Amino acid sequence: MNTTSQRQNQLPLRKAAQIAWKNIRIRWWRSLLVTSGIILALAFLMYILCSDTLSRNIPHRGSTQLIEELTKQGALISTDDDSRLQTWWMVALALLISFVGILNAMVMSVTERFREIGTMKCLGALDSFIVKLYLLESIFQGCVGTLIGLGLGLGLAFLEGLSIYGAETWRLMPGATFVRLIAICLLTGVTLTILSALYPAWRAAKMQPVDAMRSEI
Amino acid sequence: MAETTNQNSNNQSGTEALLTTHVVRTVGVRKTYYRGGQPLHALQNIDFSVVRGEYVAIMGPSGSGKTTLFNMIGGLDKPNEGRVFIDEVDIAALDTFELAWLRCHKIGYIFQTFNLIPVASALDNVMLPMLFAGMTQADAQDKAVELLTKVGLGDRILHKPIQMSGGQQQRVAIARALANDPAIILADEPTGNLDVKTGRQIIELLRVINNTEEVTVITATHDHKMLSVSDRIAWIRDGQVERYQKREEIEITEGRADVIK
Repeated sequence: MNTTSQRQNQLPLRKAAQIAWKNIRIRWWRSLLVTSGIILALAFLMYILCSDTLSRNIPHRGSTQLIEELTKQGALISTDDDSRLQTWWMVALALLISFVGILNAMVMSVTERFREIGTMKCLGALDSFIVKLYLLESIFQGCVGTLIGLGLGLGLAFLEGLSIYGAETWRLMPGATFVRLIAICLLTGVTLTILSALYPAWRAAKMQPVDAMRSEI
Repeated sequence: MAETTNQNSNNQSGTEALLTTHVVRTVGVRKTYYRGGQPLHALQNIDFSVVRGEYVAIMGPSGSGKTTLFNMIGGLDKPNEGRVFIDEVDIAALDTFELAWLRCHKIGYIFQTFNLIPVASALDNVMLPMLFAGMTQADAQDKAVELLTKVGLGDRILHKPIQMSGGQQQRVAIARALANDPAIILADEPTGNLDVKTGRQIIELLRVINNTEEVTVITATHDHKMLSVSDRIAWIRDGQVERYQKREEIEITEGRADVIK
């Protein structure tokens, strides 16, 4: 009688990733909706960060010719603290809204799979496997959404920059700052998705199999 | 696991049989739910045991506590009082990892609503518990094909649940329940969502598996077709075992539930 010494093993991460990927593919349009939420938030963040950097760098890095030209047009963007604060408020709000949106989508997608989760637990899945499954699913979506959003925001900001500052745009964006901006956006995007997936995944894993299967959705 | 002899003690009365032959044993199990502050005694002091290799039906009207008892036996729910032994292991004493191991290796579950993973093919559904058990992909696949062939779905291994009829889905569920050679198969209303003919086929399949795989089958049901194949029937009423009946004691005409009362 050695049943008590037998403990369920962890399933390799690869398997969880496979199942998570299948789950995304089967709910492709829903996943796309979640992803597009992330894309929008990140595109906005990246765009604001980029154009803020460009305009702030005009007095330091722009040629006198450009500054004169812009002043003449009245297009020299104000860089005082008030307007910057306002911008950051907008960024924070945008991120908050997209966070709530992703959280909502995640809670829904876990709720509609309660029965599936209960079944998996009956078949011997550990709580950690369920958490992994949902975290991986959201990380996939988070990464894809972040990368696309980042590219989109970057593209928009530079297109706008080129139309206003011309070839000087490249000078207004120092390499180190550029790398930092990308790092900030990647971190924000992935953190946003993981945070919003954490609660639903944890709730799903903690459920007793009976309760999970009794729920009629 | 306790290796027990006495395999053919099928018709021994539960309480008199040797303890070691019991694959399931409950001692003074009580379960009380609270609905709006009112206590609801779902199970009251249940002593219930099943001998290895037996085919037992738990019968009773809705709300009699049979599903609650069934969940206790399956380690899906914990009693307020009393103990539940599976293979003489007290499941209340198990931690999450051990409980997951028990569910994975010792128990095969079959549900009224089939509960297949909708995104996975029949093959993947049957393979999943084997992968949880740590089997390699290749071994799991071979065994899943073998099991699906055994339940008569050898030509449908790559179908998704949605592409199969209820009876076929339940066959996949039976193959999945057998995946890790469990000691017990727990079937909760396995015919509840099936028509009479398909239901009978599923019941017969369970009986065949009970004989050939030497697995104990416990069903919670109110389908009277189950009576003719069960070795023993436990009648549950108001959270208590009202009486046990052996197959020999049952005279039943199918469709006439009143005969047995």
